[in-house]
Amino acid sequence: MHFVTGGAFNGKSRWVKEFYQLDGTPHKWISAYHDEPAAELDHSLIILEGIEMMIREWAQAIELGEIRDKWREMLAKWLEWEKEDNNRKIVLIGSDISKGIVPMEAADRKWRDASGWAFQDAAAAADRVDLIWYGISQKIK
Amino acid sequence: MAEGSLIFISGGVRSGKSSFAERTAAELAKKTDGKLHYIASGKAYDPEMEARIQRHQDDREESGLSWTTWEQPSALEEISGSFNYQDIILFDCLTTLLNNELFRAEDGWKNRGFQDKLSSDILRAISEFRQRCRSLIVVSNEVLNEPIGENELVFAYAKILGTLHRNIIEMADEAYLVEAGIPIQMKGEPA
Repeated sequence: MHFVTGGAFNGKSRWVKEFYQLDGTPHKWISAYHDEPAAELDHSLIILEGIEMMIREWAQAIELGEIRDKWREMLAKWLEWEKEDNNRKIVLIGSDISKGIVPMEAADRKWRDASGWAFQDAAAAADRVDLIWYGISQKIK
Repeated sequence: MAEGSLIFISGGVRSGKSSFAERTAAELAKKTDGKLHYIASGKAYDPEMEARIQRHQDDREESGLSWTTWEQPSALEEISGSFNYQDIILFDCLTTLLNNELFRAEDGWKNRGFQDKLSSDILRAISEFRQRCRSLIVVSNEVLNEPIGENELVFAYAKILGTLHRNIIEMADEAYLVEAGIPIQMKGEPA
């Protein structure tokens, strides 16, 4: 599992496309920005973009603790799936939303908290983490 | 003639990015016997901004170096012909310029074509400066690490700013992220 994070519009997806040479590699790209649900694991390389938006949707329906449990379950499931075959990989991409002023709306604060935890859990589960700063990557794990 | 060097410097509010940029410019000027230019994009709309601009001006005066100041809140390209190979240009800062450009456009910013043109105009002006001068230092802000939200203007702003940063860093010889006064070199060979 590979987790890629950094600020919005910093070129994270572009970096992933280049890093995995996706133009010439079979893969499945799932984007939460286009309301695509995390679907079947029917390719050996799966990229899930916009984790923070997925978490945002969950935050509208369930409580913080449940979000974290649900997310950890998903991570565990993906790790299991990866273990079954050496060629399998999940790449998670999430925009960092953690460094602004405390949001006015309670719902936004909840979203921000939930994303922060989700990112920590994703980084813990991943064997590689990259931080992207305007196209420049820094391998932080 | 070889093109000048391009240095990108970014950081949070009060991170010390402007001071670092000024020090960098001053060192370059000393090393190359160059002339210092300061392009300010900030406009004083209120006393707070006035004080902020004044403080930056005082800092530059106290440095004992002679800076030529250009006030250019928008349309950078207007002055891109004014420089030559002796010049060390410090441009502070990209976020304010983009702000001014988007507000100047009234409703025009909603148009995708306008947004693309704005970003390519800014990039072109930066390349032109660089072609003529010895060194160009571009200062900007870290503002993309929070929810961008649904507001269309904020979204357009964030998207253009991110695109500009990526493109400028790609062209740049050096790029720095300043944290609490400490510059972290993200691109280029350490001096």
